[in-house]
Amino acid sequence: MATERARRGRPSWKRHSSGTFYLFVSPWVLGFALLTALPLGYALAISLTNFNGRSDRWRWVGLRNYAELMGDAEAIASLVRTLAYTAIAVPLMVAGGLGLAVLLNQRLKAVGLFRTIFFLPSVVPIVAMAIMWKLIFNRDAGILNAILEKISIGPIAWLVDPNAFYALIILTLWGLGGGMVIMLAALQGVPAELEEAARVDGATRWHVFRHVTVPIISPVIFFQVVTGIIASLQIIIQPLLLAQTGQVGNVGEVPETTHLYMVQVYQEFFVNSRYGYGSAMLFVFFLVILAITLFVQRSSRLWVHYTVDREADR
Amino acid sequence: MNAHSEFPLVGGGKPMFYGRISRRRLLSSSALLAAGAAAATPLLGACSASSGRSGGPSGNSKTVTLTVMYKTDELTKAHIADFESKNPGIKINFVEYDSTRLNAMLASNEPPDFVRAVAVGSSSANAQELYTALDPYMAKSSVLKPEHLLSVNDSFRWDGTRSGQGPYYGIVKDWSQDATLWYNRALFEGAKIQPLSTTEPISYDELLEIGKKLTKKSGGKTQVYGLGVEWAWGLSAPIMMMILQQGGQVYSADLTETDMTTPEALRALRWYVDFAQAGVGPTALDPAPDGADLSLFLAKRMAITQDGYWYGGNFVEESDEIKNNVAMAPAPVMGDKRISPTYVGWGAAIPSKAKHKDEAWKLMEYFMAGPPSEERAKSGWGIPALKAQLTMLPQELPYQKQAYQTQQAELQYAGQLPDSPYMVASDGWNTVLDKQLQRAIKKEITVEQAGKAITDEVNKLLKQGKDQIG
Repeated sequence: MATERARRGRPSWKRHSSGTFYLFVSPWVLGFALLTALPLGYALAISLTNFNGRSDRWRWVGLRNYAELMGDAEAIASLVRTLAYTAIAVPLMVAGGLGLAVLLNQRLKAVGLFRTIFFLPSVVPIVAMAIMWKLIFNRDAGILNAILEKISIGPIAWLVDPNAFYALIILTLWGLGGGMVIMLAALQGVPAELEEAARVDGATRWHVFRHVTVPIISPVIFFQVVTGIIASLQIIIQPLLLAQTGQVGNVGEVPETTHLYMVQVYQEFFVNSRYGYGSAMLFVFFLVILAITLFVQRSSRLWVHYTVDREADR
Repeated sequence: MNAHSEFPLVGGGKPMFYGRISRRRLLSSSALLAAGAAAATPLLGACSASSGRSGGPSGNSKTVTLTVMYKTDELTKAHIADFESKNPGIKINFVEYDSTRLNAMLASNEPPDFVRAVAVGSSSANAQELYTALDPYMAKSSVLKPEHLLSVNDSFRWDGTRSGQGPYYGIVKDWSQDATLWYNRALFEGAKIQPLSTTEPISYDELLEIGKKLTKKSGGKTQVYGLGVEWAWGLSAPIMMMILQQGGQVYSADLTETDMTTPEALRALRWYVDFAQAGVGPTALDPAPDGADLSLFLAKRMAITQDGYWYGGNFVEESDEIKNNVAMAPAPVMGDKRISPTYVGWGAAIPSKAKHKDEAWKLMEYFMAGPPSEERAKSGWGIPALKAQLTMLPQELPYQKQAYQTQQAELQYAGQLPDSPYMVASDGWNTVLDKQLQRAIKKEITVEQAGKAITDEVNKLLKQGKDQIG
């Protein structure tokens, strides 16, 4: 009886926990339905049409866009280029971020200042960053060639093929401070006693780093790899802004080596006015990204070490 | 499904699903819709208030809100205030011009009432019936009649199959014959070269030779470019002009195909390859720092630049050293026919699904024949679209007077660039030309192979456009 009274005395929202749950998650569910699921469905429908983005003269074309994409040499070439860019940029970003984090995890004077300096590029707006690098890379007036000239190199046309690809990699690496901060946080979470124990056992600094530190921070490295791959595959603003005019719309001036998949998508949408085909390209790309992510996820069993036993939790 | 399918992707105003529906289901659906609409009203009201969508009364029941999509520096706040004061029943909701946003508004059947539009290349939009024929309005107007308009406006005409004839679907704001040349006499004198004639056109081949002589290089860097062709702004218009000057054709008679392997087309392509390989001016492989020739020209690092009359507007505020040395020359020629077209011709149009066309026409009259048009003409930033305003072009400074005279003579050679309605791809020509020319410049392919590749790729785009237009 007392229990019943106590139960009845509780606020109604506490008595109906499932209802409360749904009430609290409803803003997200609504947002997801209206802002994610609906546009996705809309885009999927567009991918089955020949819609040109502005006229109501369009029709269903079924899977024609998808079939055409399978034989589109330009789209496939841009995909291969994007995979190559990702294969180069992501390891450099992760290793670079880790290397910087290790350096800035030492007891140095003014270490906070150094951390700030290395992190600053990550908060520079991407457009400003691309414009700045465009000036740095300029063949005749850029500071990079002015420096290289001092050691009798150049001038190098950085913004045209084949150097445009390297310019894009350099620009990408400039922003590795963001990864550095995450790696730094991970390094600071490594128990010092474990490293000391290894040293007591005779391990060198490299062995400690290789066999103790890296395995402990491997979940963070895994996170960096996965998010890095997804971000690198979707890169678009940098190649567009590094192009000749620096105007996003001028896809024609994007050098061939930096004409990546998303640039090709942009071209199909906003230059060729093929919204249907562009949408199909995006859905196929989604599957490619999903497959790569799943592959990396699968491979993580071999190299990612969790400090808690996930199997035991199940 | 026919070509104009029922699928409601683009807001065609048709129901999402067809089929029989019971009265009971209709009523229940209507009740649901009404409830949904009631729930959504505050949200929609907020949207409407924030966007200022046209269509409804705004404060005063007789006031119409006109949604105008233009550029702030072309249709200024002062112009809008002046127009509103002269037309108390019209309020303007100004939207900054953005082609992607415009397309979205057109696609959703919620277009602006008055919009910035381009004359050269308008046939694709007209074939899709996106804009309103202005002839009925012109017939009633006293300030904007066909006989008032310079021939540049013909690019806005569309007879149902091709541009250049039929009703007007827009009016040009101002324009230029964009192949004309501007040069710096001091750089010619420094190189001991006779300056270009301001009355007789030079041939493209001679121009390239002079460009080579004017180019100065040192240590792998270019100190002075002999000739700039505004490469980053597009290659299709000048190449089409070169083909027309030789008596060639860009499109087949039915406008569905191109052939860039003709002798005329190959000669034009070869000129561009020679120009780039000679390194006399910025190209896609040696881009200008800011993608335009102006800063190089003003820095006296470029001797000749190929720009229209509008370019003269840049020099008014410059030093005497610049003002006293610049001069304008006629468009060069490749072949026997002297043709000097506009490459662009920005103007305005009234979308076919605009809600306030009469009020939009009032703005058209004000903008194209009223104070803003006179301001534009007097500024020298382009040639007016009305014959009567030609005399307003500035002639105060010596270079302005010289440019005025050259421009007056050039007008008689104004021609119209070909325009296929099936080129739906907005920048399709330029993208293809740039890509294939780069390959030819790098000697990965020959000019003939480039011509064949351009033909194939552009024909593919035309085929896609035909598929979209139907």
